[in-house]
Amino acid sequence: MVNDARKFIVSSSPHIKDEGTISKAMRDVFIALMPVTLVTIYFFRFYAVFFIAVCLVTAILTELLFRNLMNRKARPGDWSALLTGLFVALLFPATTPWWQGVIATFLAVGVAKELVGGLGWNRFNPALFGRVALILLAPLFAFVYSWFEPLNVYLGSIDVVTQATPLAMMQRGLEMPPLSQLFLAFPGGAMSEVSPLAILIGAAYLLYKKHISWRIPVSILATVVILTLIFGANPLYHLITGGLLLGSFFMATDWVTSPFTDKGKIIFGVAIGILVVIFRVGFSITEGVAYSILIMNFFVPYIEWKTSRSHFGKIKAVPVPMANQK
Amino acid sequence: MEVKKFTGGIRIPHYKSFTEHKEIKKASLPGELVIPLLQHTGAPNEPLVKVGDKVKAGQKIGATDKFVSAPIHASLSGTVTAIEPRPYLTGQKVNSIVIAVDEKQDELELADIDVGTVTKEEMVKAIKEAGIVGMGGAAFPTAVKLSPPPDKEIDALIINGCECEPFLTCDHRLMLEKPEELLQGIELIMKMLSVDKAYLCIEDNKDDAIETVRQKNTNPQIVLLRMPTKYPQGSEKHLVKATLDREIPSGGLPFDVGAIIQNVGTCVAIYEAVRYKKPLIERVVAVTGQNLKDPQNLMVKIGTPIGHLIEECGGIVEELAKVVIGGPMTGKAQESLDVPVVKGTTGVIVLPPDMAIEDMEYHDCVRCCKCVEHCPMLLYPNQLSIFCEAYMIEEAAEWNALDCIECGICAYVCPSKRPTVQLIQRTKPLIREIQSKK
Repeated sequence: MVNDARKFIVSSSPHIKDEGTISKAMRDVFIALMPVTLVTIYFFRFYAVFFIAVCLVTAILTELLFRNLMNRKARPGDWSALLTGLFVALLFPATTPWWQGVIATFLAVGVAKELVGGLGWNRFNPALFGRVALILLAPLFAFVYSWFEPLNVYLGSIDVVTQATPLAMMQRGLEMPPLSQLFLAFPGGAMSEVSPLAILIGAAYLLYKKHISWRIPVSILATVVILTLIFGANPLYHLITGGLLLGSFFMATDWVTSPFTDKGKIIFGVAIGILVVIFRVGFSITEGVAYSILIMNFFVPYIEWKTSRSHFGKIKAVPVPMANQK
Repeated sequence: MEVKKFTGGIRIPHYKSFTEHKEIKKASLPGELVIPLLQHTGAPNEPLVKVGDKVKAGQKIGATDKFVSAPIHASLSGTVTAIEPRPYLTGQKVNSIVIAVDEKQDELELADIDVGTVTKEEMVKAIKEAGIVGMGGAAFPTAVKLSPPPDKEIDALIINGCECEPFLTCDHRLMLEKPEELLQGIELIMKMLSVDKAYLCIEDNKDDAIETVRQKNTNPQIVLLRMPTKYPQGSEKHLVKATLDREIPSGGLPFDVGAIIQNVGTCVAIYEAVRYKKPLIERVVAVTGQNLKDPQNLMVKIGTPIGHLIEECGGIVEELAKVVIGGPMTGKAQESLDVPVVKGTTGVIVLPPDMAIEDMEYHDCVRCCKCVEHCPMLLYPNQLSIFCEAYMIEEAAEWNALDCIECGICAYVCPSKRPTVQLIQRTKPLIREIQSKK
């Protein structure tokens, strides 16, 4: 008989597992953001590096702090906090005072994510939450801005003059740079808006890695194109400005805050598209994408509930017995 | 014929190269046999022998008069040394008959019956007497399965040669080496059920088996279907969907949509039972895995401890490892190598340390939807894992936890490594308890 003193590992099936992990997926999104990050660093040099670094460090410290406070185990090697930090950074112009990045990242990681239960339980996209919170808190800052002023750092002049975001230029009726330049690289607005091409390269990587489904971005972009055509605007300008591409491919597709049903993803995307056009055309607001995604984040559970598929073998005429008893 | 695809499912690495080209070899005689009294789905058998009795190979040693059952036979001649609870593949102990095997074994006495003249009743009786159960793993008594309620009209027989679980190659080898027996077995079952169509389904990673069976097949009523290699292609519900495009209703069985499914190994056993009156005392077991010196397909006597098979294959290469009975997706990890091979044992897999996953720490669901995308039952495993983890039993029932076929894909793909299938398994009895109270 075989010697039984040896211990065998006993665990439940399945005994083989896919190699994918959350940190690998998060790392892939991080990689997908590298093209646009590099372009932005090319334009804004030390300002971009400094602001991004501030946000990354804040993200890690905030996660540590909240996990300690809430008695949850820290997750070393999990790229999720870093990723939120990078997202927050890219949503701001490079020359934004650094303390604004700290506040936004703190709100994103601490309040929008950790306080509501950590990764997986957040209802709203953390980075957008942090960014929009700062926009809404802006009137408050008017009072305290002067206190913080001495904290601002000056990193020397940069070659490019930071310009207004192209979307704002468009809405003020200014003369627009040519489409091709806007598409390749144009230093205006938030750091993530500098190069739609770089965003698309990252998006292609995410699609190739199957981390995101085509449903949400395609339905957002198609809706925006159709509606802007109806309103007589140039859909191409709308597509490549105002962070619409970043929002469609990176923000609205966030696993945690988008619907898990296929139909729901399309409804979610179309609704975001409609809201974006309403904000832009109706109210001339440049942060329409951020608002639209956050608003639709709120409706995700309802969309899921309304669009859940019927399972294999379900006979439509027979109601699920327990469902009636509620 | 066109094969319908089912939604969901997943391609997983199939790890079959260790044994797929190795001929079935007879395993050497073990010193001791442990034959569990219950190795099928249904009522346990009562022992027909006492400690100290001499038994002959093929002798019936356990039976019961309950309908859903299958008798057990001594696989080799020897002396009964104990009737006591012994380790079983589920991890529990099951009452078993222990036989010290004689060194000198006589040939098994076999009849030779003209299969052309046997009646349906004689066939059912032969299958019942031979103790045949489903040999794909579920081990449901075959005689019961082949006697569907009279109000169910059966018009199609489906033979499952998919073998969709990774590593396993026993059905594959059987189709290559015993195609005539298989085809004649299928014809017998068609006669029993009075159906004029049989579909033999084989996954397209076993093209040599498809070709072999095609060459031997002269009966136009037996249709060969080349199925896409996709787990869980061999699941009853998905096989019926793929071949007949019929959907088995929730909680139903294949005969509810006019189909009966048999595994290829069972067909061969049925043929041998009807023709030779040979009881089910041996079966093919794929003894495989990276951590084994010389993986083999072995013809094994029922009751042989798996440790004997591992030694037969050169032993375990590295120290710490995992030994699994069945396929890696649904099989059971073993603590002891004394666990015997039973009628439903398809494989013994010895995994290397780097694949021998322990119950690992898992994280919150991040709603990545990979399980939703691949669930072959079109459930929402993400929701189920949360509800089942929190013992939210009514919610789990509402999200159709009872329809889960426990294929394990959700736990396989999960980047948070959530043991979703395990959580659902734990919750199912709780749901049934609540529903029976209402």
